[in-house]
Parts: sequence; C-alpha cells; structure tokens
Amino acid sequence: MSGTSIDVKDLSFSYGDHLVLDGVSFSASNGELLCVLGPNGVGKSTLFNCILGLAKPQYGAVLLDGKPVAEYPARELALKIAYVPQSHAPTFNYSVFDMVLMGTTARVGGLSAPGAEQMQIAEEALERVGISHLRTRGYLQISGGERQLTLIARALAQNADVVIMDEPTANLDYGNQLRVLARVRDLTREGLTVIQSTHNPDHAFLFAARVLALVGGKVAADGKPDEVVTEQLIHDLYGVTVRLTRSESGAIRCEPLL
Amino acid sequence: MRATEKQKLRGYSLLVAVMAAILVVCVLISFALGRFPISPRELLTALGEKLFKLEKSADITEQLRAILFNVRLPRVLLACMVGCCLSVAGAAYQGVFQNPMAAPDILGASSGAAAGAALAILLELSAKMVMLFAFGASLLTISLVMLISNSARGNRVLRIILAGIMVSSLCNAATSFIKLVADPNDVLPEITFWLMGSLSKTKPENVLFAAFPMAIGLIPLLLLRWRINLLTLSDSEARSMGVNVSFVRVTVIVCATLVTAASVSVSGLIGWVGLVVPHLMRRLVGNNYRHLLPASMLGGAIFLLIVDNVSRNLLKTEIPIGILTSVIGAPFFIWLITRKKETV
Repeated sequence: MSGTSIDVKDLSFSYGDHLVLDGVSFSASNGELLCVLGPNGVGKSTLFNCILGLAKPQYGAVLLDGKPVAEYPARELALKIAYVPQSHAPTFNYSVFDMVLMGTTARVGGLSAPGAEQMQIAEEALERVGISHLRTRGYLQISGGERQLTLIARALAQNADVVIMDEPTANLDYGNQLRVLARVRDLTREGLTVIQSTHNPDHAFLFAARVLALVGGKVAADGKPDEVVTEQLIHDLYGVTVRLTRSESGAIRCEPLL
Repeated sequence: MRATEKQKLRGYSLLVAVMAAILVVCVLISFALGRFPISPRELLTALGEKLFKLEKSADITEQLRAILFNVRLPRVLLACMVGCCLSVAGAAYQGVFQNPMAAPDILGASSGAAAGAALAILLELSAKMVMLFAFGASLLTISLVMLISNSARGNRVLRIILAGIMVSSLCNAATSFIKLVADPNDVLPEITFWLMGSLSKTKPENVLFAAFPMAIGLIPLLLLRWRINLLTLSDSEARSMGVNVSFVRVTVIVCATLVTAASVSVSGLIGWVGLVVPHLMRRLVGNNYRHLLPASMLGGAIFLLIVDNVSRNLLKTEIPIGILTSVIGAPFFIWLITRKKETV
C-alpha cells in the first residue's frame, strides 16, 4: 500500500458563534494508528467531517498528499480516504457481501456497477477482516460487532490508504470491542493508516500508537500514549480523577477513583 | 466470484426469464379476453402484416383489425408501461428517501396531475388537453416542491418530503374546489371517473404521448441503479464512498417524477402499484437495486396488466382500475406489516 499522507493545518470550525475546533494541527501517514481522545461534543466528529470533506472549515485546511480535500472530486477522495461510521441500522436489509461490495463503487467509473473484479476485491476484504462466513447473512441480522467488522471490510474494499473510524467500539459489548480494535491494529501493521475516535483511555493504551487529545477544540496532547496520557490530562478531558497504574508486564491501565 | 454469488446471480436471471415469460403469456391472454376475443394466431397475423406490410389476410376482418390496433393493443401496452413505470418510480423513491413507505405520489406528482386534469375537464377541453394539463401540472407541482425544499432549512430528505406534503395538500384543495363548482350532471362525474384511474379510454396517441417521457426517465434510473443502493445509507457514508450524493438524488427524483407524471396523465390515479410491487420484488430478489429495478419493471407490468384485465372483464361495466389496485394493495400491506421479519 502506498502511503497517503494527511496534514491537518491550523483547522478552525464553528457552528455560528460556537467555536468547535480551534487551530487543530497534526499529521499522520504510513500505517499509523492515531487515536483521537475527547469528551462528547469536543468536535471529534466535526474534525472527521472536515477531513472527509463533508464540512468546510472556516480557517485552515486538510491536505491529502499536499492537496486540500476540498479540491478533490468525491470519487478521487474516496480512493484515498475511507470512512467507517458507528455500526448502524440502515432502512433496507442488504447482504453483508452487498454492503462490502458498495465500497468498490469509487473504483468503477461513471455509471457502471461493480463487476467480477470488484466482487473478488470484496471477497478479499471479507477474508482480511475474517468474516467470510457472514457473506450471505443480512446486515440487519448480524450482531453490532459483526456489523462494525462489515463496515471495516467495506472500507478495505474501497482500497483507500487512510481510514477514518468514528468510535468503532461504541455500542459494542466488551468482547466485541477488543476483537474489533485488535483487528484494526493488525490492519495498521499491514500499512493502513487509521484515525479513530474513542472515549476510552484504556483503548488508547492497549491499541493506539499515537494519541491526539482534544480539549475545548484545541490539541491538548499529541504523542505516544504512555508519554502523553497522564492523570492530569484525563482529568482535563473528562473531569474525573483516575490513577494510572503500571502492571507487571509494563502495560499502563486506568483506574478510576470514585 | 464465489459459488454462492454465481448461484444468486443464476437465481436472479432465472426469475427474470420466468417473469418475462409470464408477461408474454399475460399479453396473449389479454388479447383473447373481452367482447371481441383475438386469438394469438390472429394477433400475430395482423401484427405481421402491419409490421412487414404484407398483403392483408382474408381470415381477419377489418373490424377485428380496428379493435386490435385502436383499442386492445394500445390498452395492453399502456397497462404494461404504466405498471412498469409506477413500480420503478416507487422503488426509486423508497431508496432516495430511505423510506420503505414512499410511493410515486409522495411528492405530489399525482395530486398535481389530478388538479390539472380536473381543471381541463372543467374547461371542457379535449381528452388530449386533459392529458397534457395533467402532465404539465404534475411537473409544475414537483418543480414547486423542489424550489420550496431548496430554500427551507433542516435535513434535506425531510425538507423535500415536507414540501411535497404541503404542495399536494394545496393541489387537493384545488381539485376539491373544481369539483365543487363543476356541473354535477356531466362534468363532475367525468372528473370523479378520472380521479379513480382507468385505462378504458386508451387511444393509440396516449401510448405515443407517454412513451417518450417514460423512456427518458427510465434510462437514467436503470443506469444509476447501483448507486441508489448507496443513497439508502447516510449521506456522509455515500459521499465518502465516492458518490456525488446531491447529483444522484436529484437525478433519481427528477426521472422518477417524469415517469410518474407520464403514467398519471394517461391513466388517472392508480394507487398502491408503486408500493406493492417493489415490496413484493424485495422479497423475491432482495434489496439490491441492481436486481430490484429490472424485477420491479417486469413485476409492475404483469401486475397492472392482470388487474386491468380484471377491471374490464369481471363485470359488464368497467370497474375503475384504481379501485381494484386499492382492493388488492391494502390487504397486501396488512400481510406485509404482520409477517415475520424480512430476510435477504
């Protein structure tokens, strides 16, 4: 996979008078797993919408390989960057295979529909995520974790280098959260660049190579989780007091003090 | 492509072939039904001599030719065309509005056509003008809906549907007013009959009139049908997968409206087809629009042709087809909402 670099430069966004993002800058490339930490309403989704070209920032820019996302036509943008929404329930029940096949739409130009080649790609994407056995099941009949994996397979079928994931573990049970995150981590080891948002600091310690913490629309920390996520930062982010403990294996865990 | 995909594709191809065969059989039966039955042999002979400009066969009377070409053939064709278009429009609207209950009249195309037709009948214009008024008023209504929805605020899909409800309501008020002032002896019954929907007055020029806008609308819908799948998801998902969401949505709405307007202007208000047929087809071929739209075209044609045959043959006098589609459609929907969960 050739690396697409993504540069967010001095990004500011406001809804009316309400400033949501205030001079956010960072960059990511080459198989990084960037975890965006922040409380509800801090602007994580807005940041993602700006990166995906769905929202236009008032100041600053998002550059993909040096070119602003606003200048990409929808189809070219889709070939560079994919989006994995929270697992949802669409109006109509599609088979898991059809859902993944939709990811290949940007690869077939103009008015054509995916053909045998794209079906092969969808097949491979299902295999990479490890859900080939679900291919004929209805998307509305599988579990939340399986839906999330289906959406990740769809992003792989899109063949973009960068994948934006909006809280991939929201609404999932404990086991599914860990399974989905482990799968995402494996994919970044294969060269995929992933930017995902999360509420859970433990997930950042467990899986993220890098953490970007947003407080009040500003970047409060950017770096390796072990280095930048402190008890003070978690207090600033979520308003709760925690103690960070190091286990015998050297892993850091978050222990809430209630 | 793995074996299961091939199997599925083969199943779909088989279904399309079977439905096409059923349609052909239904067409042949339709000619044989009625006060002047036309056998398949007579039909083919008459068609052959017309198409290939052969000598007129002595077996066929001029009366039979007149009935075949001026009455039966246009009516059979129109029933197929209208059924096909209303079903496709219903399926398309359901997709772009992410609403399984959307029908071809959701944006007011039918209400607009009804007001236009009622006005033309009130002014005692010719049948041709009634058709043109209905078509024009229908398109005007949708333009108004799109114009209003563009300047309204909020969720785009909701805006269009709300604008549609408002404008339809206005059109219905206009139709009611026209009925109020219409002469109850001759004009009012004619308006009422038009509103009930019927193919009984079909003439060759109706078919020719409707064919052009129907073709113009159907072709883009068929070309865009894979992309309609993506529009049934959220806009941000569809866009992030490389679909120009607003362009595809507006194109689909315009095309679906065009075929609806063309249908309504020649047939009056025929309800339920656009709701019942797509849902039946979803059960048979799944929700993938790549298979759903062609299946709906065939299914709609078969359905309306059969219903029209019932409407003209069941009783001595015609039963307006709109009444029959409601009689079939409503129980179907009761079944649909009470059945077990849908599977792919």
